[in-house]
Amino acid sequence: MQKRPESQSKPQLKSTTPSNGSQPSSVPSRAQQERTYALPDYRQEVSEITVRQVRKGEEVRYEVSGDLHAPVPPLRDSKYLSQQQCIAIYRFMVMNRKMETALEHLYKQGKVVGGVYFGLGQEACSCASAYALAKDDWFAPMIRNQGSLLVRGFRARDTMMQYMAKAGSPTKGRDGTSHFGDLYERNMVAPISMLGDLIPVLSGVALGARLQGRDIAVMTYIGDGGQSTGVTYEGINFASVQNLGLVLFIESNMWAYSTPSEMQYRNKDLAERAIGYGIPGVIVDGTDACQVYDAAHEAVERAHRGEGPTLIEAKMMRMKGHAIHDGANYVPHALFEYWKKRDPIARMENYLLHTRKWLTLEENKALLEEVEREIEVEREIAVNSPMPQPESALGGVYCEEGCHTIRPKYGVPKVRKGTGAFRQTEAAVHLK
Amino acid sequence: MAVMTYIDAITSALREEMARDERVFMIGEDIGAMGGVFKATKGLQEEFGSARVIDSPLAEGIIISSSIGAAMAGMRPVPEIQFADFIAPAMDSIVEQAAKLRYRSAGTQTCPLTVRVCYGGGVGGGLYHSQTNTSWFIHTPGLIVVAPSSPYDAKGLLKAAIRNDDPVLFFEHKKLYRSVKEEVPAEDYTIPLMKAAVKRKGSDVTAISHGYMLQLTLQAAEKMHKEQGAEVEVIDLRTLAPLDKDTFLESVARTSRAVVVHEANRTLGIGAEISAIIAEEAFDCLDAPIARVTGPDIPAVPASPPLENFYMPSVERIVAALERTLEY
Repeated sequence: MQKRPESQSKPQLKSTTPSNGSQPSSVPSRAQQERTYALPDYRQEVSEITVRQVRKGEEVRYEVSGDLHAPVPPLRDSKYLSQQQCIAIYRFMVMNRKMETALEHLYKQGKVVGGVYFGLGQEACSCASAYALAKDDWFAPMIRNQGSLLVRGFRARDTMMQYMAKAGSPTKGRDGTSHFGDLYERNMVAPISMLGDLIPVLSGVALGARLQGRDIAVMTYIGDGGQSTGVTYEGINFASVQNLGLVLFIESNMWAYSTPSEMQYRNKDLAERAIGYGIPGVIVDGTDACQVYDAAHEAVERAHRGEGPTLIEAKMMRMKGHAIHDGANYVPHALFEYWKKRDPIARMENYLLHTRKWLTLEENKALLEEVEREIEVEREIAVNSPMPQPESALGGVYCEEGCHTIRPKYGVPKVRKGTGAFRQTEAAVHLK
Repeated sequence: MAVMTYIDAITSALREEMARDERVFMIGEDIGAMGGVFKATKGLQEEFGSARVIDSPLAEGIIISSSIGAAMAGMRPVPEIQFADFIAPAMDSIVEQAAKLRYRSAGTQTCPLTVRVCYGGGVGGGLYHSQTNTSWFIHTPGLIVVAPSSPYDAKGLLKAAIRNDDPVLFFEHKKLYRSVKEEVPAEDYTIPLMKAAVKRKGSDVTAISHGYMLQLTLQAAEKMHKEQGAEVEVIDLRTLAPLDKDTFLESVARTSRAVVVHEANRTLGIGAEISAIIAEEAFDCLDAPIARVTGPDIPAVPASPPLENFYMPSVERIVAALERTLEY
């Protein structure tokens, strides 16, 4: 197994050629020599917590190993974020959590159609990543990235109405949860339930922009479970071959529904997969918004320069069950305890209040109250939206009267124009 | 007007649409430098550049899903699936993304892509180079399924498909590529999608078909006329979904007899839907049971010539079905 690269105080996404001189203690392995890219590890604390499935007859349980009492390291200072930006990300994270709490209440009141999915413990990854995108960039969230939607300008009411399948929801009640998109204002591809499917589609969006003369960043997410799909490989490989600006976050949150990551893959870190694609791979602490932002920012910049995709593995843990109905009893309690100490919002709050002193207690209190009020207003609007008319299930299947055409997003494609004149083709080759 | 083969008509449509609209681009396996395994895209990369005629990795999934993404950004992709048999890896993106995008966005988003698919048997291609899997897509609302039967139709329908704002599966029969020639206008023209055509007028029985089978049905009709003096009306569906039922219902109302011919296997082939529609909406007009001439319910077209011939509907089988229907 390849030795994990040391944490670097100044991580860079630039490709580096491994040099024999920099590793005096050992002769580099063949794999090391052949690597095109290093794997910068942004994490201050390299957690060695692992979960293993143990079977004894019919009984299945999960065993945790590693130092569960390791102290929580401070957040890393961002190389790019200002005080104002850090507070903005913090506010989005708070709103993300409060929105999901409101959804939990709506569910308990019997107002939600289907289940509720949470990004608890993953708010830093959702919010700080999307915050790094420019206006013209695209993104596609997964079910646990409901915070990304807020960052990109959607209102909490949009997601809430979706969960209640209201007539006023972006899909007019046709789909639930955060399965909606916007190709016109916010450049968001709607997620679907098939995991990994967004990756090649986002690569295609970048291809479309490229044909129109623009190198844009297209950001999406996949879990440690979802990355097992073949379509994940196809999507990243295509972006790599075509040098498209895909920024893929692998959210290593340890559980795919009830299946631990040990049963999804055998590498130590999923960022290592980047080597196989010939693209940069990065590891960040997914509960540290500053690290997430810095890695995303550098990957987005790289995409804008037309240098191709980046794989970012964010380590964290899903702090609830797969959805609201799942009590996650299969997760060892000690794991929840370990990660609870690494709550992304508490860490950011502590950083702003005490480490940086960028927020006073009063200002923080005011911020929390303001978000609370906003969520209440949004909830009220969402709850009061009517349910759709039954017949509205029909229609909108094919282009109808007044259906619109999508215009090229970045102007007239910059492509070679031919004459279109007919020329005779040759005879067929094989087959009788 | 020039006499063109079916494949030349397709190349001609692609070339004209590429020149007309800079949003159109193509992606597929071996379509660029090589010009496609059947040469449908020959010379196009040379003329329009490798950025616009893209040689994809060997993965049908990425061909379709990257096209869907590009369509979302305002392009009009024309991806190629080399053989219909290989389309299964792209089913997920066709069915879950492309077909549902308009519906799940409540009509606000579109996915204007034209997937060119080479299909069909009768060429000794064996199990994995001969399939007619049109029904997979016919059963998926949100997709338009087109299957032209002649060079003139191929060009006009392909141009209409590329200009259409919904995802189109454009099935090109490989047996037709170089076996049929006809006059094709050099100027721009389109043929409306979702509209069937009467390819031969007749008053005794209605034969409904599409693609390569339409050509065999026309031959059978000619034979019936010459040998028995029976007048067969031949309807070319052109688009299999959404289905234009008015054209064949109107015809059956006049002839009172219907035979459906298709190459796909029998169960839930397009013939099943057509028969059901006629039974539901024109039952009183019928003087004979509806007949179907189809491929048998076996997994695919077998390789050995006697087996393949057994699979493929033939002029003789179509004639026999027409005779049975007329004699009932």
